[in-house]
Amino acid sequence: MSVSLQSEAIDVATEYDQLVGDRPGAAVATFTGYVRDHSDAHTVSELELEHYPEMARKVLENLGQSAAERFGLSSWRIVHRFGRLAVSETIVWVGAVADHRGEAISACELMMDTLKTDAPFWKREQGPAGEQWVASRDSDTQRRARWQSGEAQ
Amino acid sequence: MSGGVKITIKLFAALREALGESEFELEVVTTDAVPVDVASVKAVLSQRGADWSEALNQPNLVHALNHKVVFIDALVSEGDELAFFPPMTGG
Repeated sequence: MSVSLQSEAIDVATEYDQLVGDRPGAAVATFTGYVRDHSDAHTVSELELEHYPEMARKVLENLGQSAAERFGLSSWRIVHRFGRLAVSETIVWVGAVADHRGEAISACELMMDTLKTDAPFWKREQGPAGEQWVASRDSDTQRRARWQSGEAQ
Repeated sequence: MSGGVKITIKLFAALREALGESEFELEVVTTDAVPVDVASVKAVLSQRGADWSEALNQPNLVHALNHKVVFIDALVSEGDELAFFPPMTGG
């Protein structure tokens, strides 16, 4: 039931163990996001993530709590990195524990879809043409909107 | 009565880079009859020059008041923190 904003790599195995603890419940779902070596149009050699620390923490804590209420989670965790990241490094990790798989999987999807558009992080890519800020994607906004319209449940 | 509302302005990502500032204090002069909102803060900052006006009037600009995204008519009070930034791209 917590959030971590960190510059260091995410220790996925340790995060999983701490999420589950000694009460695994019936269903555990997690999602791990890594730095891709390409964007839509070019290769990416490095990523820098700027963030607004105070707001990011509040947004992610509210997000975890609302996912817990919506899906009846017994445990959840959101870990997001900032700073310079190399290709194939972890960026984000979310985990949810529920009574049933549907709730656990949906909670992870809700947390990811929402944090993409609502948590104050900004990616800057290093590619062949130098550094550039990553533009927001309409597809991310649309995925976020599904949870508000009731299309995704 | 007229006075001033002192707030903290924060800028992030491309906006911070374009304007060369990340955080500063701002006093917005006001009267009792005209409360300060996000739009009036933007108007004050836009007077700093064409680069400020252009950056703060992008159609997709996001404003967060005390760490919460708000509409442009949100009222701003003494001691508030108002941040401007482009759409978020985390995850």
